[in-house]
Amino acid sequence: MTETVLFWIIAPLSLGTALSVVVLRNPVHAALMLVGNFFTIAVLYAVMEAQFLAVVQVIVYAGAIMVLFLFVIMLLGVERQLDFGERIRGQRAAAVFLGVVLLAALTVGVAGPYLGADSACPTTAEQQTEPAASPQACRGLAEANADGNVFGVGRLVFTDYVWPFEVTSVLLVIAALGAMVLGRRAEQDSDLVDVLRRERVPAGGVGDASYQAELQQSLEEDPR
Amino acid sequence: MAVPAGYYLALAAALFVIGVVGVLIRRNLIVMFMCVELMLNSVNLTLVTFSRINGNLEGQVLSFFVMVVAAAEVTVGLALIVNLFRLKASTDADDVDALRA
Amino acid sequence: MLAEYLPLLLLAVVAFAFVGLSVLVSARLGPNRPNPVKEAAYESGILTEDVDVRQSRFSVRFYLVAMLFIIFDVEAVFLYPWAVTLRSMGWYGMAVMGVFILLLFETYYYVLRRGGLDWD
Repeated sequence: MTETVLFWIIAPLSLGTALSVVVLRNPVHAALMLVGNFFTIAVLYAVMEAQFLAVVQVIVYAGAIMVLFLFVIMLLGVERQLDFGERIRGQRAAAVFLGVVLLAALTVGVAGPYLGADSACPTTAEQQTEPAASPQACRGLAEANADGNVFGVGRLVFTDYVWPFEVTSVLLVIAALGAMVLGRRAEQDSDLVDVLRRERVPAGGVGDASYQAELQQSLEEDPR
Repeated sequence: MAVPAGYYLALAAALFVIGVVGVLIRRNLIVMFMCVELMLNSVNLTLVTFSRINGNLEGQVLSFFVMVVAAAEVTVGLALIVNLFRLKASTDADDVDALRA
Repeated sequence: MLAEYLPLLLLAVVAFAFVGLSVLVSARLGPNRPNPVKEAAYESGILTEDVDVRQSRFSVRFYLVAMLFIIFDVEAVFLYPWAVTLRSMGWYGMAVMGVFILLLFETYYYVLRRGGLDWD
């Protein structure tokens, strides 16, 4: 019961925030909507007995990744950059059309077999006593989570998946080195880079006309 | 009483498609990148749902690894975007070729 | 089962209510008599009205530190399930995490030597 109510509150919120990410012009607003979307997904994880993932979702995604996104957006000062003109005619319509086709295919192909009421998941052990009626029925995680969800996930990560776990460490090393190298290369020019001074873009090369004009104006006002 | 697992899968599919359409129609690299994150999240949601359908934790473990990889990916991707911005003062996807050495 | 999350929900409600109330109350009760001098953007004794935010200089180092933060944040996230399962895994768990931490500390050392975390 609780799950049903929660789902029908969270699902529209999730779809709404996701759509806003695509539709909103200001990247800062889009990023904030994405944070909201991550929170709704964290709630869904908690509902589906993935407590550990719900917490990691908030810590890593909403806490770290999105902060970095906002940080970069504000550092670069690209809040007002409009990017809604079409480069290729009919691209947007084609994209939406393909999206609808993909949505239909995914819904029928992936979600279709599990739409029946018999695939609903009992959330508590008591509800689970009667055996699954159909092969598609949802078994629930009561058994797997017996020692707690964090314990179960940790157990798997450090035993069956210990090799991917160690490889992850190598991946993180590479990511850190990548950030260092890409950061250092820019630093060689000078420690502090004045963004507008480096505006040596060929005419018509960047952005739309209004942005270009705006930049031009700000350069004229302040010819340093 | 509870919600059929397919509803979660359908929601995840819808989120994935929103992400795909976003990547296709936006030109701002940062927003495109955010749409990729949206897609990754919807796939994670699918994995968690299947983990529940099958009654084992494998899906959650895979989902966890996806999050870790996404963190590494964001680090390098945003470093590339910052570098592009230094070269061209732009975050437009059409200018990415400026990064060619 | 989901009732366990009730305190969390309450916390969220309180947090949002606090923000909403603060904004509302200060908007209602605060005297609102704007004048041009008050409206002017002002920072550290400098009038900033014609300085675009985008013209401000930005330092490479800030975002480098932010990115390295994410890497080590992820490392910390791995430590939570490890701490919970360590007792049942014994020395095997120590060895597994030892390799992981060693690889990342190598990076940490490299970043430190290359001055990635220097502040000025």
